[in-house]
Amino acid sequence: MAGHQTSKPEGPVAIAKAEGASLNPLDPIARFNRSKLKQYTNIEIVVASILFIAIVILAVFGAFLQTHDPMQGDLMARFAKAGEKDYLLGSDHLGRDLWSRAVAGLQWSMACALTANIINLFIGTTLGLMAAEKEGWARTIIRQFTDTLQSFPFLVVAIVVVVIVGHGFVPLVFTLGLLAWVVFMRVVYAEATSIYQRDYVKAARIAGVSRIAIMFGHVLPGVRASLFVIFAFHFAGLLIAESALSFLGIGAPLGVPTWGNMLAESRQYLLKAPGMLMVPAGAIVLAVITMNLVGDGIASLSRKRGRSIDV
Amino acid sequence: MSSGTASASSVANTKTTAQDILTGLIPLFLQLRKLAWLIFAVTTLLFFVLRQAGDPALVLAGNDATPEQLAAIRAQFGLDRPLLIQYFSYMWNVLQFDFGKSLASAEPALGKVLDMVPRTLHLAGMAILLTASIAIPLGSWLGFKPENPERRMVSGFLFVMQGVPGFVTALVLIQIFAVNLRLLPSLGYEWYEPKTWVLPVCSLASFLFPSLTRVVAANVAEAMREDYIRTARANGASQMALLWKHAVPNALLGAAALIGTQFAALLGGSAIIETIFSWPGMGWLLLESVQTLDFPVVQALAFMIAILVFSVNASTDLVFRFLDPRLRTKGA
Repeated sequence: MAGHQTSKPEGPVAIAKAEGASLNPLDPIARFNRSKLKQYTNIEIVVASILFIAIVILAVFGAFLQTHDPMQGDLMARFAKAGEKDYLLGSDHLGRDLWSRAVAGLQWSMACALTANIINLFIGTTLGLMAAEKEGWARTIIRQFTDTLQSFPFLVVAIVVVVIVGHGFVPLVFTLGLLAWVVFMRVVYAEATSIYQRDYVKAARIAGVSRIAIMFGHVLPGVRASLFVIFAFHFAGLLIAESALSFLGIGAPLGVPTWGNMLAESRQYLLKAPGMLMVPAGAIVLAVITMNLVGDGIASLSRKRGRSIDV
Repeated sequence: MSSGTASASSVANTKTTAQDILTGLIPLFLQLRKLAWLIFAVTTLLFFVLRQAGDPALVLAGNDATPEQLAAIRAQFGLDRPLLIQYFSYMWNVLQFDFGKSLASAEPALGKVLDMVPRTLHLAGMAILLTASIAIPLGSWLGFKPENPERRMVSGFLFVMQGVPGFVTALVLIQIFAVNLRLLPSLGYEWYEPKTWVLPVCSLASFLFPSLTRVVAANVAEAMREDYIRTARANGASQMALLWKHAVPNALLGAAALIGTQFAALLGGSAIIETIFSWPGMGWLLLESVQTLDFPVVQALAFMIAILVFSVNASTDLVFRFLDPRLRTKGA
């Protein structure tokens, strides 16, 4: 990771010579080698970017990339192997195309995790900043509440709430959104309390800047780097939580093509169609690793570390 | 662990007296107040939320019950009284550890939960044991020379493993070892049959060990840069002694916190693994009882999980005090 950060005193021309690159100002490789971009690029970040862009493309243009209707099966073509009868990754027990279903699952999971994550970010940051600002009843209540929420295994809370509020996208998103913000609150609280002690914040206060302006204009920017990192790692955690709840049959409604539902369906056909297990499993793993890589990449760029949540 | 204890006790120059142990327990008593508050909050919240979720009388009587039957059941269980009165009488019962009877099987709810506790502790304990016994040696090895190419490959592997959720591992393991190779049973639990433990424990550990290994490795790597390592090296300590006597005990202090957190998260949080393998533990019971709206059992489970998580956290604290002499508050 630290390989590219060693400074070379010879200057860009000397570097270019040493690396045997041309000095033609229009040569893109040479330009890249001399640019700042190279310092910030390592193999992990390149892999993370490629995977991330692929996921974004699949999520946005998924409808055009699906080869079949993910809901519509062909009973004549059940348990097709990968590549058979123009099924890219095979078909399931109802003859539905696994690739199209995996793409549909990606759209569902991404939408779910992204919305929940934004809600988490918003709640956690606001509460963290409020608690960090000064001692008093607000800090006591917020910290007590966070501690209470945290002292239960997250999955236990999520299971109870999701079953009560019911199936569907909106209940699932709001359950995750309203319950999983603890990481954001804790990190923002820890960092913002120290930022509130800085001279520039004190100066702003003396100069008569309003509390809200200090909170969001002076303190929040100092926490931003960590927030990006947590956002990425937390995204991975939410993907796991979402698919876990759907797998248990209490998240996404039955029949909706999501990774969790696909995994649950695959359990009866492990002997007959291992692809039914491997496709959604691979999709989850790839998505989670991508988000972890993105988080790691942002962390190594900003040289700060976030924590990933354990589900 | 033993080397950590040895170095800790050699640093502490006074012998531990009964009074020291008592002063060490003060934070525990403060924590107990927190536990009481937690149980109160959770019980209250669950009481009102669960009443909103569904009518217990309807659950008891079934969907095709006549209004008269419903009324009879309401009267029998006191469900026709105002909600607040119900709440206070309920809390009074909870104070006496009476959570009522399970709606599904008419057994006392707490007893039903207590049956599950040993099984979940069994699963969680073995998973943590396996996690620690992989992560600590592996993490020490990785952290000793983190830039070494083969160790970087192992780090990459850990990074990938960290992205594989436990239930995905569980399904893949079932596919390989139960369905294809027919070596191990895919579900069921007998405490005397170790074959039934292997897959659930491995699935849980597979998700836990990468993060613990990374923490141990990072801590060892950090400890290796400390002054006391340089001093020990200057004194002629061997590489092995540097690692195992000086770096690892310090790294384990940080790891102990994560082990505690992971263990606490498994108490009930192992619900998915328990469901996949039909392991009749607390997580399995939680899913069962929530889905059948068996309120007394859900309440008793929440109570039990709160106590267990609290005990784990408190004992992690105590272990810390034991391991780390800097945390012991001593009057001069």
